[in-house]
Amino acid sequence: MSSIEPDINHNIEIGGEFKGGLIGATIRHLLILLVILFVWEMANRTGMGDPLLLPRPTDIVLSIWKIYVTQGNVWYHLWVTFKEAMVGCFIGCVIGIGLAVAAVLSDTFRQFLKPYIIIVEATPRIAIGPILVTWFGFGMSSKVALAALVCFFAPFVNTITGLLGVEEESYELFRSLGATRKQVFWRLMIPTALPTMNAGLKLAVGSAFGGALVAEFISAQSGMGILMARYTMSLNMPSAFAGLLSITLYGFILFRIMEIIDHRVLYWRNDELMEKKSLQRSLAWNKEMKS
Amino acid sequence: MADEVVIEAKGLSKAFTETVIAVEDAIFQIPKGSSLVGPSGCGKSTLLRLIAGLIDKTDGNISVRNAEVTGPRKDIGLMFQKAVLLEWRTAIENVLLPNEIRGDVGPEAKQKAWDGLQLVGLKDFEFAFPRQLSGGMQQRVALARLLQTGADIMLLDEPFGALDEFTRERLNVELLRIVDDPEITTIFVTHNITEAIFLADKVFVMTPRPGRIAAMIDINLPKPRTIEMETTPEFNALIKEVRDVLSGHLDGAPL
Repeated sequence: MSSIEPDINHNIEIGGEFKGGLIGATIRHLLILLVILFVWEMANRTGMGDPLLLPRPTDIVLSIWKIYVTQGNVWYHLWVTFKEAMVGCFIGCVIGIGLAVAAVLSDTFRQFLKPYIIIVEATPRIAIGPILVTWFGFGMSSKVALAALVCFFAPFVNTITGLLGVEEESYELFRSLGATRKQVFWRLMIPTALPTMNAGLKLAVGSAFGGALVAEFISAQSGMGILMARYTMSLNMPSAFAGLLSITLYGFILFRIMEIIDHRVLYWRNDELMEKKSLQRSLAWNKEMKS
Repeated sequence: MADEVVIEAKGLSKAFTETVIAVEDAIFQIPKGSSLVGPSGCGKSTLLRLIAGLIDKTDGNISVRNAEVTGPRKDIGLMFQKAVLLEWRTAIENVLLPNEIRGDVGPEAKQKAWDGLQLVGLKDFEFAFPRQLSGGMQQRVALARLLQTGADIMLLDEPFGALDEFTRERLNVELLRIVDDPEITTIFVTHNITEAIFLADKVFVMTPRPGRIAAMIDINLPKPRTIEMETTPEFNALIKEVRDVLSGHLDGAPL
């Protein structure tokens, strides 16, 4: 997603295809979308395709209005799924990062952990869903459990990869300076691993949503998963599509938020932020040295 | 020039596995201002790490200032081919790392770090991040960090080996100026014969498989050294001397 911007700039520079810049490109995309929607609508109205299975765009828009405004029932379900996914994601990430750190710091523990990780990796995590629902019941905890299980892996693997990426010379430097294990961990290993770890967290947030939804499909009283299942079972397809679009938008917003956090935390990977930081630190330094 | 012995080894050896022996039976006394030259894979770096106390020896003795090396020492500082800067810290914050690890980041340490960066020629780059600096500048930061440790034994493992010829020559001259202090001992590891002679008062020539010190050559060139000296007949004679030692050991050996 972050690669879009430089590409466009590049094209402008060489007078390429994105004439009119970002706004022009956006307008063109919107026009194409409108054409698709118009053709879809017309095809449906002239009797091509079954409106019962593939609802008209206008019906979907009306349903969005209905579930958000006139009925307003979607808010509660969104909140339930959001809560499940976030709590599950948090637990999954904590466990994933925790196990990864332990595995990197202790060779014995890593050897012990290896076969289990291979088994877990080979198992489609979603397949454990029905068992989790049986264990944890129909309420929130089974959804949290599946969300945690589904999203645990990316932070785990990425944390291990990141921590193992510390160069031997860096360790030697820290050791020659007489650093303690704790200093090596917090001042060298964690910051070095941070970019890779963050990438893992970004993946985790997305998959936690999927986990919570699947657990709701299996059995739930509330949440977006069960709401959409109810709509499709009663063949209320416009509302089902409205629900799906909500989830998409939701996922997109969360991903963007994660990207912004990523960007801020990893300031040294961005030229603009880096220059800003340089300036800040030099001002702080001057102030301190004067006093 | 007093050949005060700082580092001493007797029967020192390091075997990584039963068959791969990096350094074998090394007996030497290293005075101030030495360099260690030899082809890659001859165990130079291993020897340097043994002196630094970063790896354990397999056999023999190694002592620094008459004390057996058992681990990293405060009076020994290192510099590597890679600058090994922490990319999330500015240049000056990288220089302050040794103080931070020892827990004494006071105004004095900060002033010293500032002065250090001026000394290595990085005025106005104090708050630049490593990614904003060229390879040569990054090595300058690494040198300032080494000076900041206050170590008076400096082990330099091909510090400018990854840089281009011109930058390397310039940095070598500056390095000599900066460490030109009777209190400071430098051991410079390189596979470049010219560089080894240029930087040292004594050159240790190492040969591979197993790594051994084959010769010790005194360099009696005047100081301060200049790049122009590298074309004098005396300098060339020294190069030939080192080369003869190496080729005597390398003839017929698989490369």
